[in-house]
Amino acid sequence: MNTKKPILNLVKERIVLLDGAMGSVLIDLGLEPGTPPESWNVTYPEKIQGIHLGYFNAGSDAILTNTFGGSGMKLAAHKHGNNVEKYNKKAVELAKAICPENCYVAGDMGPSGAFLPPVGKVTVDDFYNNYLEQAGYLADAGVDFFFIETMVDLKEAEAAVKAAKSISNKPIFASITYQLTKRGYFTIMGDTVPECVKTLEKAGANIIGANCTIGSKEMVDLIALISTETKLPILAKPNAGKPILQSGKTVYPTSVKDFTEDISKIIDKGANVVGGCCGTNPEYILAMRKLRGD
Amino acid sequence: MTFSDECKKAILDGNIELAENLARKVVNGKMEVNEAIDSFSLAIREAGDLFEEGEFFLPELMRSAEAMKAAMTIIHPLLQEGKEERFLGKVVIGTIEGDIHDIGKTLVASMLSAEGFEVFDLGADVPVESFIEKAIEVNANLICISALLTTTMVGQKRLIDLLKERGLRDKFKVLIGGAPISKTWVEEIGADGSAENAVSAVKLAKKVLEI
Repeated sequence: MNTKKPILNLVKERIVLLDGAMGSVLIDLGLEPGTPPESWNVTYPEKIQGIHLGYFNAGSDAILTNTFGGSGMKLAAHKHGNNVEKYNKKAVELAKAICPENCYVAGDMGPSGAFLPPVGKVTVDDFYNNYLEQAGYLADAGVDFFFIETMVDLKEAEAAVKAAKSISNKPIFASITYQLTKRGYFTIMGDTVPECVKTLEKAGANIIGANCTIGSKEMVDLIALISTETKLPILAKPNAGKPILQSGKTVYPTSVKDFTEDISKIIDKGANVVGGCCGTNPEYILAMRKLRGD
Repeated sequence: MTFSDECKKAILDGNIELAENLARKVVNGKMEVNEAIDSFSLAIREAGDLFEEGEFFLPELMRSAEAMKAAMTIIHPLLQEGKEERFLGKVVIGTIEGDIHDIGKTLVASMLSAEGFEVFDLGADVPVESFIEKAIEVNANLICISALLTTTMVGQKRLIDLLKERGLRDKFKVLIGGAPISKTWVEEIGADGSAENAVSAVKLAKKVLEI
Protein backbone atom coordinates (compact mmCIF):
# COMPACT_ATOMS: atom_id res chain seq x y z
CA MET A 1 0.00 0.00 0.00
CA ASN A 2 1.23 3.44 -0.85
CA THR A 3 1.87 5.39 2.33
CA LYS A 4 3.45 8.53 0.92
CA LYS A 5 2.35 11.73 2.57
CA PRO A 6 0.55 14.48 0.67
CA ILE A 7 3.06 16.70 -1.17
CA LEU A 8 1.86 19.79 0.70
CA ASN A 9 2.79 18.15 4.01
CA LEU A 10 6.24 17.30 2.72
CA VAL A 11 6.72 20.91 1.61
CA LYS A 12 6.09 22.00 5.20
CA GLU A 13 8.75 19.63 6.50
CA ARG A 14 11.67 20.15 4.16
CA ILE A 15 12.89 21.50 0.84
CA VAL A 16 11.25 19.58 -2.00
CA LEU A 17 13.31 18.89 -5.12
CA LEU A 18 11.65 19.03 -8.51
CA ASP A 19 13.25 17.87 -11.76
CA GLY A 20 15.30 19.72 -14.36
CA ALA A 21 14.67 20.39 -18.03
CA MET A 22 12.61 18.18 -20.33
CA GLY A 23 12.38 20.14 -23.59
CA SER A 24 16.05 20.94 -24.06
CA VAL A 25 16.91 17.30 -23.21
CA LEU A 26 14.46 16.01 -25.84
CA ILE A 27 16.08 18.23 -28.44
CA ASP A 28 19.47 16.77 -27.50
CA LEU A 29 17.94 13.32 -27.98
CA GLY A 30 16.90 14.20 -31.52
CA LEU A 31 13.41 15.71 -31.29
CA GLU A 32 12.79 17.21 -34.72
CA PRO A 33 11.49 20.74 -35.20
CA GLY A 34 7.75 20.77 -35.72
CA THR A 35 7.21 17.60 -33.73
CA PRO A 36 5.35 18.25 -30.49
CA PRO A 37 7.43 16.83 -27.61
CA GLU A 38 4.26 15.20 -26.22
CA SER A 39 4.05 12.90 -29.24
CA TRP A 40 7.13 11.14 -27.90
CA ASN A 41 4.99 9.81 -25.04
CA VAL A 42 3.58 7.50 -27.68
CA THR A 43 6.45 7.10 -30.16
CA TYR A 44 9.42 6.96 -27.77
CA PRO A 45 7.97 6.12 -24.34
CA GLU A 46 11.25 4.58 -23.17
CA LYS A 47 13.12 7.84 -23.81
CA ILE A 48 10.62 9.84 -21.78
CA GLN A 49 10.80 7.32 -18.95
CA GLY A 50 14.59 7.42 -19.15
CA ILE A 51 14.55 11.18 -18.57
CA HIS A 52 12.17 10.88 -15.61
CA LEU A 53 14.25 8.08 -14.15
CA GLY A 54 17.41 10.15 -14.50
CA TYR A 55 15.82 12.83 -12.35
CA PHE A 56 14.39 10.44 -9.76
CA ASN A 57 17.79 8.76 -9.47
CA ALA A 58 19.44 12.14 -9.05
CA GLY A 59 17.13 12.93 -6.15
CA SER A 60 14.02 14.63 -7.48
CA ASP A 61 11.07 14.22 -5.13
CA ALA A 62 8.70 15.01 -7.97
CA ILE A 63 8.91 15.04 -11.75
CA LEU A 64 6.71 16.84 -14.27
CA THR A 65 4.92 14.81 -16.91
CA ASN A 66 5.88 15.42 -20.54
CA THR A 67 2.73 17.44 -21.15
CA PHE A 68 4.02 21.03 -21.14
CA GLY A 69 2.53 21.65 -24.59
CA GLY A 70 -0.20 19.04 -24.20
CA SER A 71 -3.20 21.34 -24.12
CA GLY A 72 -5.67 21.33 -26.98
CA MET A 73 -4.78 24.81 -28.21
CA LYS A 74 -1.06 24.14 -28.25
CA LEU A 75 -1.33 20.71 -29.86
CA ALA A 76 -3.73 22.08 -32.46
CA ALA A 77 -1.04 24.57 -33.51
CA HIS A 78 1.14 21.53 -34.23
CA LYS A 79 -1.76 19.83 -36.03
CA HIS A 80 -1.93 17.22 -33.27
CA GLY A 81 -5.15 18.59 -31.78
CA ASN A 82 -6.87 15.20 -31.78
CA ASN A 83 -4.32 13.65 -29.46
CA VAL A 84 -4.88 15.59 -26.25
CA GLU A 85 -6.32 12.64 -24.34
CA LYS A 86 -3.84 10.13 -25.71
CA TYR A 87 -0.70 12.19 -25.05
CA ASN A 88 -1.72 13.33 -21.59
CA LYS A 89 -2.90 9.96 -20.30
CA LYS A 90 0.12 8.21 -21.72
CA ALA A 91 2.47 10.77 -20.16
CA VAL A 92 1.05 10.15 -16.69
CA GLU A 93 1.07 6.41 -17.20
CA LEU A 94 4.76 6.47 -18.18
CA ALA A 95 5.76 8.61 -15.21
CA LYS A 96 3.74 6.63 -12.67
CA ALA A 97 5.17 3.35 -13.88
CA ILE A 98 8.68 4.33 -12.85
CA CYS A 99 7.90 6.69 -9.96
CA PRO A 100 9.52 5.50 -6.71
CA GLU A 101 7.17 4.81 -3.83
CA ASN A 102 7.77 8.04 -1.92
CA CYS A 103 7.98 10.31 -4.93
CA TYR A 104 5.41 12.28 -6.88
CA VAL A 105 4.17 12.82 -10.41
CA ALA A 106 3.08 16.34 -11.32
CA GLY A 107 0.73 16.97 -14.23
CA ASP A 108 2.51 19.67 -16.21
CA MET A 109 0.58 22.37 -18.06
CA GLY A 110 2.38 25.08 -20.02
CA PRO A 111 1.06 28.07 -21.97
CA SER A 112 -1.41 27.66 -24.82
CA GLY A 113 0.69 29.78 -27.17
CA ALA A 114 -2.31 32.00 -27.85
CA PHE A 115 -2.89 35.54 -26.62
CA LEU A 116 -5.72 37.78 -25.54
CA PRO A 117 -6.36 40.98 -27.51
CA PRO A 118 -4.69 43.23 -28.51
CA VAL A 119 -1.84 40.76 -28.99
CA GLY A 120 -3.97 37.81 -30.10
CA LYS A 121 -7.60 36.86 -30.56
CA VAL A 122 -8.54 34.32 -27.90
CA THR A 123 -10.67 34.88 -24.80
CA VAL A 124 -10.25 34.02 -21.12
CA ASP A 125 -12.96 31.39 -21.62
CA ASP A 126 -10.86 29.79 -24.35
CA PHE A 127 -7.99 29.55 -21.88
CA TYR A 128 -10.24 28.10 -19.21
CA ASN A 129 -11.70 25.41 -21.47
CA ASN A 130 -8.26 24.61 -22.82
CA TYR A 131 -6.94 23.78 -19.35
CA LEU A 132 -10.17 22.22 -18.18
CA GLU A 133 -9.73 19.54 -20.83
CA GLN A 134 -6.05 18.91 -20.16
CA ALA A 135 -6.37 18.99 -16.36
CA GLY A 136 -9.23 16.52 -16.63
CA TYR A 137 -7.12 13.95 -18.44
CA LEU A 138 -4.18 14.48 -16.11
CA ALA A 139 -6.38 14.08 -13.04
CA ASP A 140 -8.11 10.98 -14.43
CA ALA A 141 -4.75 9.42 -15.13
CA GLY A 142 -3.76 9.96 -11.51
CA VAL A 143 -1.25 12.79 -11.13
CA ASP A 144 -0.40 13.74 -7.53
CA PHE A 145 -0.65 17.46 -8.21
CA PHE A 146 -0.87 20.01 -11.02
CA PHE A 147 2.07 22.08 -12.16
CA ILE A 148 1.02 25.16 -14.13
CA GLU A 149 4.17 26.82 -15.40
CA THR A 150 5.99 29.26 -17.67
CA MET A 151 2.89 31.41 -17.83
CA VAL A 152 3.54 34.66 -19.69
CA ASP A 153 0.12 36.13 -19.04
CA LEU A 154 -1.40 36.26 -15.55
CA LYS A 155 -4.92 35.99 -16.98
CA GLU A 156 -4.01 32.72 -18.67
CA ALA A 157 -2.39 31.40 -15.49
CA GLU A 158 -5.44 32.37 -13.48
CA ALA A 159 -7.74 30.58 -15.92
CA ALA A 160 -5.57 27.47 -15.73
CA VAL A 161 -5.59 27.44 -11.92
CA LYS A 162 -9.36 27.92 -11.81
CA ALA A 163 -9.90 25.18 -14.38
CA ALA A 164 -7.75 22.68 -12.48
CA LYS A 165 -9.40 23.66 -9.23
CA SER A 166 -12.89 23.17 -10.66
CA ILE A 167 -12.38 19.52 -11.55
CA SER A 168 -10.05 18.23 -8.88
CA ASN A 169 -8.99 18.76 -5.29
CA LYS A 170 -5.36 17.91 -6.03
CA PRO A 171 -2.81 20.58 -5.05
CA ILE A 172 -1.98 23.23 -7.64
CA PHE A 173 1.48 24.68 -8.13
CA ALA A 174 1.39 27.83 -10.25
CA SER A 175 4.51 29.35 -11.74
CA ILE A 176 4.84 32.54 -13.76
CA THR A 177 7.73 33.38 -16.08
CA TYR A 178 9.04 36.88 -15.40
CA GLN A 179 11.51 38.98 -17.31
CA LEU A 180 13.84 41.38 -15.58
CA THR A 181 13.40 44.89 -16.99
CA LYS A 182 15.07 48.12 -15.98
CA ARG A 183 12.08 48.68 -13.71
CA GLY A 184 12.10 45.25 -12.12
CA TYR A 185 10.33 41.93 -12.67
CA PHE A 186 7.29 41.76 -14.96
CA THR A 187 5.59 39.29 -17.27
CA ILE A 188 5.80 40.26 -20.94
CA MET A 189 2.20 41.41 -20.59
CA GLY A 190 3.22 43.81 -17.83
CA ASP A 191 1.83 41.94 -14.81
CA THR A 192 3.70 42.80 -11.62
CA VAL A 193 4.87 40.33 -8.98
CA PRO A 194 2.30 41.45 -6.34
CA GLU A 195 -0.52 41.20 -8.91
CA CYS A 196 0.54 37.70 -9.93
CA VAL A 197 0.91 36.45 -6.38
CA LYS A 198 -2.37 37.93 -5.21
CA THR A 199 -4.36 36.71 -8.21
CA LEU A 200 -2.99 33.16 -8.18
CA GLU A 201 -3.51 32.88 -4.46
CA LYS A 202 -7.11 33.99 -4.81
CA ALA A 203 -7.67 31.61 -7.73
CA GLY A 204 -6.73 28.73 -5.46
CA ALA A 205 -3.08 27.91 -6.08
CA ASN A 206 -1.41 26.11 -3.17
CA ILE A 207 2.15 26.97 -4.10
CA ILE A 208 3.26 29.99 -6.10
CA GLY A 209 6.50 30.76 -7.84
CA ALA A 210 8.57 31.45 -10.91
CA ASN A 211 10.37 29.52 -13.63
CA CYS A 212 12.16 29.86 -16.96
CA THR A 213 13.22 33.01 -18.89
CA ILE A 214 15.64 34.22 -16.25
CA GLY A 215 18.66 32.39 -14.84
CA SER A 216 19.30 31.30 -11.28
CA LYS A 217 21.25 34.46 -10.46
CA GLU A 218 18.42 36.81 -11.45
CA MET A 219 15.90 34.65 -9.62
CA VAL A 220 17.35 35.29 -6.15
CA ASP A 221 15.87 38.78 -5.78
CA LEU A 222 12.64 37.70 -7.49
CA ILE A 223 12.01 35.00 -4.90
CA ALA A 224 12.75 37.49 -2.13
CA LEU A 225 10.11 39.75 -3.63
CA ILE A 226 7.55 36.95 -3.96
CA SER A 227 8.13 35.93 -0.35
CA THR A 228 7.17 39.38 0.87
CA GLU A 229 3.85 39.03 -0.95
CA THR A 230 2.60 35.64 0.22
CA LYS A 231 2.56 33.21 3.09
CA LEU A 232 2.11 30.27 0.74
CA PRO A 233 5.10 28.02 0.01
CA ILE A 234 7.21 29.24 -2.93
CA LEU A 235 8.65 27.36 -5.88
CA ALA A 236 11.62 28.32 -8.08
CA LYS A 237 12.73 26.61 -11.27
CA PRO A 238 15.24 28.90 -13.02
CA ASN A 239 17.16 28.36 -16.24
CA ALA A 240 20.87 27.60 -16.23
CA GLY A 241 21.50 31.18 -17.36
CA LYS A 242 20.66 32.92 -20.62
CA PRO A 243 21.31 30.68 -23.63
CA ILE A 244 24.18 31.47 -25.96
CA LEU A 245 24.88 29.94 -29.32
CA GLN A 246 28.21 28.19 -29.78
CA SER A 247 28.99 26.75 -33.21
CA GLY A 248 25.33 26.26 -34.00
CA LYS A 249 24.45 24.70 -30.66
CA THR A 250 22.54 26.27 -27.78
CA VAL A 251 24.54 26.40 -24.58
CA TYR A 252 23.21 27.38 -21.16
CA PRO A 253 26.22 28.95 -19.47
CA THR A 254 25.57 28.58 -15.72
CA SER A 255 27.66 25.76 -14.24
CA VAL A 256 26.29 23.19 -11.82
CA LYS A 257 28.31 24.80 -9.03
CA ASP A 258 27.12 28.37 -9.66
CA PHE A 259 23.53 27.21 -10.16
CA THR A 260 23.56 25.30 -6.88
CA GLU A 261 24.99 28.28 -5.02
CA ASP A 262 22.20 30.45 -6.44
CA ILE A 263 19.58 27.88 -5.47
CA SER A 264 20.98 27.93 -1.94
CA LYS A 265 20.41 31.72 -1.86
CA ILE A 266 16.95 31.24 -3.40
CA ILE A 267 16.10 28.91 -0.53
CA ASP A 268 17.42 31.45 1.98
CA LYS A 269 15.08 34.02 0.41
CA GLY A 270 12.10 31.81 1.01
CA ALA A 271 11.72 29.09 -1.63
CA ASN A 272 10.52 25.69 -0.40
CA VAL A 273 10.31 23.87 -3.71
CA VAL A 274 13.22 24.06 -6.15
CA GLY A 275 14.30 22.56 -9.45
CA GLY A 276 15.78 23.55 -12.79
CA CYS A 277 14.33 24.70 -16.09
CA CYS A 278 15.99 25.02 -19.53
CA GLY A 279 19.61 23.92 -19.68
CA THR A 280 19.58 21.89 -16.49
CA ASN A 281 19.93 18.10 -16.28
CA PRO A 282 20.20 15.38 -13.60
CA GLU A 283 23.68 16.62 -12.63
CA TYR A 284 22.15 19.87 -11.42
CA ILE A 285 19.55 18.01 -9.37
CA LEU A 286 22.20 15.72 -7.90
CA ALA A 287 24.22 18.74 -6.78
CA MET A 288 21.11 20.36 -5.29
CA ARG A 289 20.37 17.27 -3.25
CA LYS A 290 22.52 18.35 -0.33
CA LEU A 291 20.46 21.53 -0.03
CA ARG A 292 17.52 19.36 0.94
CA GLY A 293 19.42 18.33 4.05
CA ASP A 294 19.68 14.60 3.50
CA MET B 1 -1.68 70.90 -28.73
CA THR B 2 0.41 70.70 -31.90
CA PHE B 3 -0.28 68.12 -34.59
CA SER B 4 2.84 66.32 -33.56
CA ASP B 5 1.75 66.20 -29.91
CA GLU B 6 -1.62 64.87 -30.95
CA CYS B 7 0.03 62.14 -32.99
CA LYS B 8 2.13 61.23 -30.01
CA LYS B 9 -0.94 61.04 -27.81
CA ALA B 10 -2.85 58.93 -30.33
CA ILE B 11 -0.02 56.44 -30.75
CA LEU B 12 1.09 56.17 -27.13
CA ASP B 13 -2.51 55.80 -25.96
CA GLY B 14 -3.17 53.31 -28.73
CA ASN B 15 -6.13 55.47 -29.73
CA ILE B 16 -7.08 54.24 -33.21
CA GLU B 17 -9.91 56.73 -33.69
CA LEU B 18 -7.72 59.73 -32.91
CA ALA B 19 -4.93 58.36 -35.11
CA GLU B 20 -7.38 57.98 -37.99
CA ASN B 21 -8.76 61.49 -37.51
CA LEU B 22 -5.25 62.91 -37.60
CA ALA B 23 -4.40 60.91 -40.70
CA ARG B 24 -7.51 62.28 -42.42
CA LYS B 25 -6.12 65.78 -42.02
CA VAL B 26 -3.51 64.75 -44.55
CA VAL B 27 -6.16 63.42 -46.90
CA ASN B 28 -8.08 66.68 -46.54
CA GLY B 29 -4.98 68.65 -47.37
CA LYS B 30 -4.78 70.23 -43.94
CA MET B 31 -1.48 68.66 -43.22
CA GLU B 32 1.55 67.98 -45.38
CA VAL B 33 2.09 64.28 -45.91
CA ASN B 34 5.76 64.04 -45.04
CA GLU B 35 5.33 66.15 -41.95
CA ALA B 36 2.50 63.92 -40.79
CA ILE B 37 4.49 60.77 -41.36
CA ASP B 38 7.41 62.25 -39.44
CA SER B 39 5.12 63.01 -36.50
CA PHE B 40 3.66 59.52 -36.48
CA SER B 41 7.09 57.93 -36.88
CA LEU B 42 8.44 59.89 -33.96
CA ALA B 43 5.51 58.71 -31.85
CA ILE B 44 5.87 55.02 -32.70
CA ARG B 45 9.58 55.26 -32.06
CA GLU B 46 8.82 56.63 -28.62
CA ALA B 47 6.47 53.69 -28.01
CA GLY B 48 9.38 51.44 -28.96
CA ASP B 49 11.71 53.24 -26.59
CA LEU B 50 9.20 52.86 -23.78
CA PHE B 51 9.03 49.14 -24.55
CA GLU B 52 12.80 48.86 -24.37
CA GLU B 53 12.81 50.77 -21.09
CA GLY B 54 10.28 48.41 -19.50
CA GLU B 55 7.60 51.12 -19.32
CA PHE B 56 5.53 49.55 -22.09
CA PHE B 57 4.73 45.86 -22.37
CA LEU B 58 3.36 43.72 -25.16
CA PRO B 59 -0.26 44.94 -24.99
CA GLU B 60 0.72 48.63 -24.97
CA LEU B 61 3.16 48.19 -27.83
CA MET B 62 0.62 46.24 -29.86
CA ARG B 63 -2.01 48.94 -29.27
CA SER B 64 0.44 51.61 -30.39
CA ALA B 65 1.32 49.60 -33.47
CA GLU B 66 -2.36 49.10 -34.28
CA ALA B 67 -3.04 52.85 -34.02
CA MET B 68 -0.01 53.56 -36.19
CA LYS B 69 -1.15 51.00 -38.72
CA ALA B 70 -4.62 52.59 -38.83
CA ALA B 71 -3.09 55.99 -39.57
CA MET B 72 -0.71 54.65 -42.19
CA THR B 73 -3.52 52.76 -43.92
CA ILE B 74 -5.16 56.12 -44.57
CA ILE B 75 -1.97 57.93 -45.53
CA HIS B 76 -0.47 55.12 -47.62
CA PRO B 77 -2.66 55.54 -50.75
CA LEU B 78 -1.53 59.17 -51.01
CA LEU B 79 2.05 58.03 -51.22
CA GLN B 80 1.27 55.65 -54.03
CA GLU B 81 -0.39 58.44 -55.95
CA GLY B 82 2.97 59.79 -56.83
CA LYS B 83 4.88 60.85 -53.78
CA GLU B 84 6.85 57.66 -53.95
CA GLU B 85 9.81 58.99 -52.03
CA ARG B 86 8.25 57.94 -48.71
CA PHE B 87 7.34 54.48 -49.85
CA LEU B 88 9.46 52.26 -47.66
CA GLY B 89 9.22 48.91 -49.40
CA LYS B 90 7.64 45.48 -49.34
CA VAL B 91 8.40 42.90 -46.69
CA VAL B 92 7.63 39.19 -46.67
CA ILE B 93 7.76 37.90 -43.12
CA GLY B 94 7.07 34.61 -41.37
CA THR B 95 8.19 32.05 -38.82
CA ILE B 96 10.12 29.22 -40.42
CA GLU B 97 8.67 25.74 -40.94
CA GLY B 98 8.61 23.52 -37.88
CA ASP B 99 8.32 26.50 -35.57
CA ILE B 100 4.95 27.70 -34.33
CA HIS B 101 6.18 30.62 -32.22
CA ASP B 102 4.86 33.71 -33.86
CA ILE B 103 4.57 36.45 -31.28
CA GLY B 104 8.00 37.98 -31.97
CA LYS B 105 7.38 37.79 -35.69
CA THR B 106 3.91 39.33 -35.38
CA LEU B 107 5.34 42.17 -33.34
CA VAL B 108 8.02 42.88 -35.93
CA ALA B 109 5.38 42.70 -38.69
CA SER B 110 3.17 45.19 -36.83
CA MET B 111 6.03 47.59 -36.22
CA LEU B 112 7.20 47.41 -39.85
CA SER B 113 3.70 47.94 -41.08
CA ALA B 114 3.22 50.78 -38.60
CA GLU B 115 6.34 52.45 -39.91
CA GLY B 116 5.00 52.34 -43.46
CA PHE B 117 6.29 49.14 -45.00
CA GLU B 118 3.89 47.00 -46.95
CA VAL B 119 3.99 43.77 -44.99
CA PHE B 120 3.00 40.30 -46.15
CA ASP B 121 2.79 38.20 -43.00
CA LEU B 122 2.78 34.51 -43.90
CA GLY B 123 2.20 33.39 -40.30
CA ALA B 124 4.03 30.57 -38.53
CA ASP B 125 5.35 27.19 -39.70
CA VAL B 126 6.03 28.57 -43.19
CA PRO B 127 7.88 26.36 -45.69
CA VAL B 128 11.08 27.83 -47.17
CA GLU B 129 9.54 27.65 -50.65
CA SER B 130 6.55 29.76 -49.61
CA PHE B 131 8.78 32.63 -48.49
CA ILE B 132 10.51 32.68 -51.85
CA GLU B 133 7.33 32.30 -53.91
CA LYS B 134 5.67 35.17 -52.09
CA ALA B 135 8.75 37.38 -52.30
CA ILE B 136 8.88 36.89 -56.06
CA GLU B 137 5.12 37.33 -56.45
CA VAL B 138 4.98 40.69 -54.68
CA ASN B 139 8.44 41.79 -55.77
CA ALA B 140 9.56 42.19 -52.16
CA ASN B 141 12.54 44.20 -51.00
CA LEU B 142 12.99 42.34 -47.78
CA ILE B 143 12.46 38.84 -46.42
CA CYS B 144 12.29 38.44 -42.64
CA ILE B 145 12.57 34.96 -41.19
CA SER B 146 11.86 34.21 -37.56
CA ALA B 147 12.97 31.10 -35.67
CA LEU B 148 12.63 30.70 -31.94
CA LEU B 149 14.18 27.29 -31.69
CA THR B 150 17.77 26.28 -32.23
CA THR B 151 16.41 23.32 -34.17
CA THR B 152 14.47 25.46 -36.61
CA MET B 153 17.17 28.09 -37.13
CA VAL B 154 18.68 25.87 -39.79
CA GLY B 155 15.64 26.74 -41.90
CA GLN B 156 16.97 30.30 -42.10
CA LYS B 157 20.17 28.95 -43.62
CA ARG B 158 18.23 26.70 -45.99
CA LEU B 159 16.24 29.66 -47.26
CA ILE B 160 19.35 31.72 -47.95
CA ASP B 161 21.07 28.74 -49.59
CA LEU B 162 18.05 28.24 -51.82
CA LEU B 163 18.05 31.91 -52.82
CA LYS B 164 21.72 31.57 -53.77
CA GLU B 165 21.08 28.37 -55.70
CA ARG B 166 18.41 30.08 -57.77
CA GLY B 167 20.49 33.18 -58.31
CA LEU B 168 18.00 35.27 -56.32
CA ARG B 169 20.15 36.19 -53.34
CA ASP B 170 20.88 39.71 -54.59
CA LYS B 171 17.22 40.38 -55.30
CA PHE B 172 16.16 40.50 -51.63
CA LYS B 173 17.66 41.62 -48.36
CA VAL B 174 17.23 38.94 -45.73
CA LEU B 175 16.86 39.66 -42.01
CA ILE B 176 16.63 36.94 -39.43
CA GLY B 177 15.26 37.00 -35.92
CA GLY B 178 14.50 34.89 -32.87
CA ALA B 179 15.82 34.21 -29.39
CA PRO B 180 18.82 32.04 -30.35
CA ILE B 181 20.06 34.25 -33.18
CA SER B 182 23.56 35.70 -32.80
CA LYS B 183 25.89 37.81 -34.93
CA THR B 184 27.94 34.69 -35.65
CA TRP B 185 24.89 32.93 -37.04
CA VAL B 186 24.05 35.93 -39.23
CA GLU B 187 27.56 35.83 -40.69
CA GLU B 188 27.67 32.05 -40.93
CA ILE B 189 24.56 31.83 -43.10
CA GLY B 190 25.11 35.10 -44.96
CA ALA B 191 22.02 37.01 -43.81
CA ASP B 192 21.91 40.80 -44.00
CA GLY B 193 21.35 41.24 -40.30
CA SER B 194 19.33 40.57 -37.19
CA ALA B 195 17.97 42.82 -34.48
CA GLU B 196 17.52 42.50 -30.73
CA ASN B 197 13.85 43.41 -30.78
CA ALA B 198 10.98 44.69 -32.90
CA VAL B 199 12.01 48.32 -32.55
CA SER B 200 15.58 47.73 -33.64
CA ALA B 201 14.23 45.51 -36.41
CA VAL B 202 12.51 48.49 -38.00
CA LYS B 203 15.68 50.57 -37.77
CA LEU B 204 17.67 47.73 -39.29
CA ALA B 205 15.16 47.20 -42.11
CA LYS B 206 15.52 50.84 -43.07
CA LYS B 207 19.28 50.64 -42.80
CA VAL B 208 19.72 47.61 -45.06
CA LEU B 209 17.35 49.13 -47.62
CA GLU B 210 19.24 52.41 -47.34
CA ILE B 211 16.14 54.41 -46.47
